[in-house]
Amino acid sequence: MSRLRAEEVTVQFGGLRAVGDATIEVSDGGFVGLIGPNGAGKTTLFNVMSGFLDPTGGRVVLDDKDITGMPASARAKLGIGRTFQKLELFGRMSVFENLMVAAEAGESKLDLASDLLSLPKRRREERRCAAIAAEMLAMLDLGWARDRRASDVPLGTARILELGRALCARPSVLLLDEPSSGLDAEETADFGKMLQRINRDLGIGIMIVEHDMDLVMEVCRRISVLDFGVMIAEGTPAEIVADPQVRAAYLGEVDDEAAPATP
Amino acid sequence: MDVLVGTLILGISVGSVYALAATGLVLTYKTSGVLNLGYGSLALLTTFIHWQLTAWGLPVGIAAALVILVIAPLIGVFLDSQLFRRIEGQPQVISVIATVGLFVLIQGIVRLAWGGRTELVPSLFPSASWTLPGGVSVGVDQIGVLVVAAGAAGSLGAMLRYSRTGVSFRAVVNNRPVAGLMAINTTFVSGLAWALSTSFAALTGILLTQGIFGGLLDPIFLPTFVIAFVLGAAVFGYLQSLPLAYLGGLALGIAQSLLIQYQPQIVDVIGLETWVARIRDGLPFITITVALLIAPRALRIRGLGSSFVVRTREALAPAPARVRTTVAAVVFGVLAIVPLLGSVSWSLTLATGMIFSVVFLSLVILTGYSGQISLGHTAFMGIAAFSAGHLATDLGWSSWLAMPVGALAAVPAGALIGFIAVRLHGLYLALLTLAFAFMAQQLFFEERGISGGEGGVPLPRPDGAGSETGFYYLVLAILIASSLLAVSLRTGRTGRVLAAMRDSEAACRSVGIAVTRYKVIIFGLSAFIAGLGGVLQSMILESANKLNFQPFFGLIYVTLAVLGGIFHVGGAIASGILFGIFPQAIDAFPFLGDIQFILFGLGSTLALAQNPEGLFGELRRAGNAALSLILRIRQRRSQPAPVTGGGR
Repeated sequence: MSRLRAEEVTVQFGGLRAVGDATIEVSDGGFVGLIGPNGAGKTTLFNVMSGFLDPTGGRVVLDDKDITGMPASARAKLGIGRTFQKLELFGRMSVFENLMVAAEAGESKLDLASDLLSLPKRRREERRCAAIAAEMLAMLDLGWARDRRASDVPLGTARILELGRALCARPSVLLLDEPSSGLDAEETADFGKMLQRINRDLGIGIMIVEHDMDLVMEVCRRISVLDFGVMIAEGTPAEIVADPQVRAAYLGEVDDEAAPATP
Repeated sequence: MDVLVGTLILGISVGSVYALAATGLVLTYKTSGVLNLGYGSLALLTTFIHWQLTAWGLPVGIAAALVILVIAPLIGVFLDSQLFRRIEGQPQVISVIATVGLFVLIQGIVRLAWGGRTELVPSLFPSASWTLPGGVSVGVDQIGVLVVAAGAAGSLGAMLRYSRTGVSFRAVVNNRPVAGLMAINTTFVSGLAWALSTSFAALTGILLTQGIFGGLLDPIFLPTFVIAFVLGAAVFGYLQSLPLAYLGGLALGIAQSLLIQYQPQIVDVIGLETWVARIRDGLPFITITVALLIAPRALRIRGLGSSFVVRTREALAPAPARVRTTVAAVVFGVLAIVPLLGSVSWSLTLATGMIFSVVFLSLVILTGYSGQISLGHTAFMGIAAFSAGHLATDLGWSSWLAMPVGALAAVPAGALIGFIAVRLHGLYLALLTLAFAFMAQQLFFEERGISGGEGGVPLPRPDGAGSETGFYYLVLAILIASSLLAVSLRTGRTGRVLAAMRDSEAACRSVGIAVTRYKVIIFGLSAFIAGLGGVLQSMILESANKLNFQPFFGLIYVTLAVLGGIFHVGGAIASGILFGIFPQAIDAFPFLGDIQFILFGLGSTLALAQNPEGLFGELRRAGNAALSLILRIRQRRSQPAPVTGGGR
């Protein structure tokens, strides 16, 4: 059964059609890859699904409920987590605080009065969230960086931290936008293993935009291919590799990943 | 018909001066990233020099040429090399505030040198008029102003387009860092930009004095007038485009002269005489507001936005809770016993200072904690004070009740700005709040029914706090309460969310934080605290007076809050009290009276260039140094200290 689904989504930027009639879904606990050349519209589609961009046409459905037009923060509350192609950390806060903010956002509603008065209820909540954040630190092996400023940790750690922050908000579906960009081969492999563990052990559905073909083929169970905003193929990794259209459109340009993708 | 043509010519003539000035402003903004709010006072200074030269007997044409071609460019180069290049790379709030300091500094210099009198500048052009074919008569001076202004802007355009320097210039305007890499001398270009800009400011001052004010040079009115219309025009091109800024200037000039000429007819048709006049005066701010609200999304969100948010890292880790509590207890303890020691006048002076502290606290939670900038807090203060005044006077409410309810009245206005702040970021938001303060003043606080005219609206001190001492303790209590509020805002979850928002709004949304709600709340809360400050300020003289809520004060408040330390509660308290006792302190040294503005201006510009964390950061650095020295001595006594890599 599909958890999160984009149905015939179209995004038009002025005269430019960034995404046209694209349909993609993540099933409950699924692991889906979204690939395509730079500028194919992958991040745009992600932004539509996570609520950062309203589509010109089509709809986004979560558990059979139409969530098109719903603000990003409300979608996050419903369980859609995401990371960003260009890192978006809370740079001046510590690694722990980054996780804490997300844990608290997932945990409770805004209640200024109990916040300001530091009521017992609030303090209990704070302890619970600190425990969640601490657990995440342990799970991702970030304990050593606990009190570092987020802007000061190495890129590989920062990518993991961003993933951990998304997890702290208790998502049921994760949208990961090029999580391995900037990582070396070894870090990428480790990252892939971690993603598989999250997918398997926590039962979180994952959709990933990725340029590293080895990683995508390794971790994804289904792959969709986007080219010039249009879905040209969908299937298992083996099917995708064999698809002549995909080979023509995309695999010929695999070595092109050094160029920055357009957001 | 003749009247219309004449009006249009006048409009184009005045408009081309605004246009010229706007070009000058955008030029320096784009080359050095500094939005120069002191532009108007540069126009004032140079025009006064021009007047002085003519008063010494120089022919007016030669005096003007000397000022525009030699003196003004030199001033511009001086400012660039001595001030603005030093604050390059600082967060934009710092550079904006440095230009507020510049404004005050130049105002002080003009006051010191020429005594703040209005002077009559001799006319550049013969006072004749020509009759155009069709019978329309236009003044030679109008045509002269038009030709000179258009000529200057035209030569700038030609220089940018055709000369080699122009190419470097455009490269720097487009992308300064990359231009630097391309071996373009960016220092030369920014110096040239400041020279040209200041020269344009001089031209603006001289031509406007001529074209609008009939030769009268008013040291108070001119700079505000200039900066208002120049900002209005510049925002037309969203501070990005020179041609659009030029068009904006023309449009403003034409609209203004049409409104002046046809005011009686407009009033005949729609009535509302006072409103038509106010809209005429508020034209540039209405333009700014409308232009910003309809700005394209890409500009609103990215454009100038991100860089304006305070990016300074808080270099020092907070002191241990025990130390902070002790310091706070000592400070408030001392404040609590002051009235028992000193004279009544001193306790009122201190109360004034503590009220400033409350206002600055409202800025600390807004700018320091959440990274939003407001240059328009006087609007909130005024709304609260006048509301409280009317509740107390017209409805006979007790001041105990009128005070909080009045402050609550500022909350919707704050929340509205917060709501807009979701869609409008950075420098654009700052300009919107500035425009908001001016509109609040011109459209509402000038209304007799609201502000009570010159006399203000009576607002008695609450029963039991009527005496100087009683009022002092009321203020102290409110200061302590607001400080506690600010501290708990910072330490708890809300503080974490605000800090997170300051760093990345996108990330906040992605984990489920409703950014809109928090912005609305933080602006509302800030407006409430500022409102309390406004009410208390009015209670000093027992009357809410519009003179207390001039937009210019809002700029000064932000400057002082940043100087004190915008990230810290302690900074707000210290700088508020210092600012409050400053006038009384300098009474002891009469010669300081004349140069206090100069001191303030110099101090703020230079201090910020050195340390964006402000006075409080400096104090704490000293405290930390002392503390670590003590620790080290102790450690050395007890045992040979292990070397542990420097530490913080």
